[in-house]
Amino acid sequence: MKTTLMIKVAAGAIGRQKMRTFLVELAMMAGIATLTVIVALTQGADKQITKRIRNFGPDAIMVHSGGGKVRGPSTAAEANLSKKDISDIRNIPGVLLATPIQTELDMPLKHGSKFSTAWVMGVEPAWQRAWHRGARKGTFISAADNEQLSKVCLIGTTTAADLFGGDDPVGSSILINNVSFKVIGILEKRGQSPVGTDFDNLVLIPYTTASRRLMNQPRYAAMVRVIVSDPARAHHIAAEIKGVLRENHHLAATEEDDFRISTAAHVARMVRMSAKTMGTFLWLVAVIAPLVGGIVLMNIMLMAVAARKREIGLRRALGARKGDIVMQFLSESIMLTVIGGFLGIGAGVGIAFYIHHLGKPISLGWQPFAAAFVFCILIGLLFGVYPARKAANLDPVQALNQ
Amino acid sequence: MIELRDITKSFHNGPTTTEVLKGINLCVEKGEFVAVMGSSGNGKTTLMNILGCMLRASGGSYRLDGADIESLDDDQLSAIRNKKIGFVFQAFNLLEGTSALDNVLLPLVYAEHYPDDAEERATGLLQSVGLGDRVHHKPSELSGGQLQRVAIARALVNEPAIILADEPTGNLDTASSEEVMNIFKRLHAEGKTIILITHDPDDAARAERTVFLRDGKIFHREEVQ
Repeated sequence: MKTTLMIKVAAGAIGRQKMRTFLVELAMMAGIATLTVIVALTQGADKQITKRIRNFGPDAIMVHSGGGKVRGPSTAAEANLSKKDISDIRNIPGVLLATPIQTELDMPLKHGSKFSTAWVMGVEPAWQRAWHRGARKGTFISAADNEQLSKVCLIGTTTAADLFGGDDPVGSSILINNVSFKVIGILEKRGQSPVGTDFDNLVLIPYTTASRRLMNQPRYAAMVRVIVSDPARAHHIAAEIKGVLRENHHLAATEEDDFRISTAAHVARMVRMSAKTMGTFLWLVAVIAPLVGGIVLMNIMLMAVAARKREIGLRRALGARKGDIVMQFLSESIMLTVIGGFLGIGAGVGIAFYIHHLGKPISLGWQPFAAAFVFCILIGLLFGVYPARKAANLDPVQALNQ
Repeated sequence: MIELRDITKSFHNGPTTTEVLKGINLCVEKGEFVAVMGSSGNGKTTLMNILGCMLRASGGSYRLDGADIESLDDDQLSAIRNKKIGFVFQAFNLLEGTSALDNVLLPLVYAEHYPDDAEERATGLLQSVGLGDRVHHKPSELSGGQLQRVAIARALVNEPAIILADEPTGNLDTASSEEVMNIFKRLHAEGKTIILITHDPDDAARAERTVFLRDGKIFHREEVQ
């Protein structure tokens, strides 16, 4: 077959000039490996971000005490959401539930000789529905616990591991800020928050116990988590909550909010914004790296054209048209870049798995492979066409008499 | 078959113009074996390149098989070189690292149709030039005479009407030259048109007819003597 013969000839030329081939392959390999690794890392990071946003909940609205920019959770010290605020929020149509949360960050914990710190949250039983998260072991905080100001707690898996190692915490007691609490359950695992904090390093206690005994904030709640019936209307309801709170807090039109409201859409926008800057930069590197391979290819192919003038002249004498010569050198270029690409994908996958091994999230779909393959062909074409045209436009007589 | 009328060829090199061919008139009939003689620097190779459609003349007309060569474009000239002309060069010009068989197949890569029996045909041609046992050898494993015979097989593979040989024995020893010239004689007997460019009177003596190239013009034997 004619094509097989052409491929054979191109492969022969590639095989004969080993140094040349080696250099091009090295350059292409480095470029495509970079591309593969970056795609794997970006996709991995993206997947993680999506998961974190899902953890927030699409049907949730968080109301935080205190104004200003979005930051971490509000604490009991700055709490300003009154009981009336909460009941007014509950009365907004479309609101399924609103449950107050009292928070203190990084409270000291102790069990036996082990110390740790964790976020401590005072919660009502509705917290389970608000977060779609309950006890994986033991029981959750009940309404009775809240009425009696019980000193009971649930702990997250990270906290459990920190304080108890492999032992079963349920039934034991821990000290939270030197007050003894009985562990009644372990929380379901949840992973990371949208901003990257550990949702599993957490201690839940009854809301009343937190407000009156531990955090000294009997009147106001630090945060309120609201669940809406229709996630598509979350934005709308957030605006209504804002109106209610501004009125309750007697804020003049010129005054800024003394609370913050965030929805899943807010959180997604915020998280993606910070990821995007990094992403753009990485994509730039991912695209430039293989282009460097292309420049090496062009140099090497120009050298090859100069070294093979006689062959080009001969082929022209035997009937090759200019187009045939262009095709020949282009197919050589593409063959070189595609082989380099496969080597690069191999190296890239290896590096990506190593990075995964070091603990970074990666994701390897078919996309990096398709991208690398298409990229290689494009580079072969883009950087191969000039040398190929140069070869085709040689004067056949002069080329043959080199 | 071949008809050159008042062919001129000048080369421009900066301000100086060198007129290499100064009005060549030459007719070669189908099946003829013509030798073109002349010492080096007389424009033999330029004439060969014009005959081989590798180079366009500066003036005059060239008709090949009824086609007006001057009016054809680059791709059409390529097709003519491929279909009608078989080149044999002084320096053999085989592809290094490529087997004798693949070298012989090379013109077929550029043919309009790649024949189904290409390999058998190429192998047959290699056998006919006495290289049946060298089909898969690479050029580096062959002697000069063998290389030139591979080149002749290559020139024949697309069944051209004309063989253009430029000093085919120039790089060969006497015995190899003899073999090569015998092949040309045989091809002539089989009906091929052969144009042999040479400076060797012994080689020229094999041809039916010899013309002389001097000072850019063609002279016939009677004119020279």
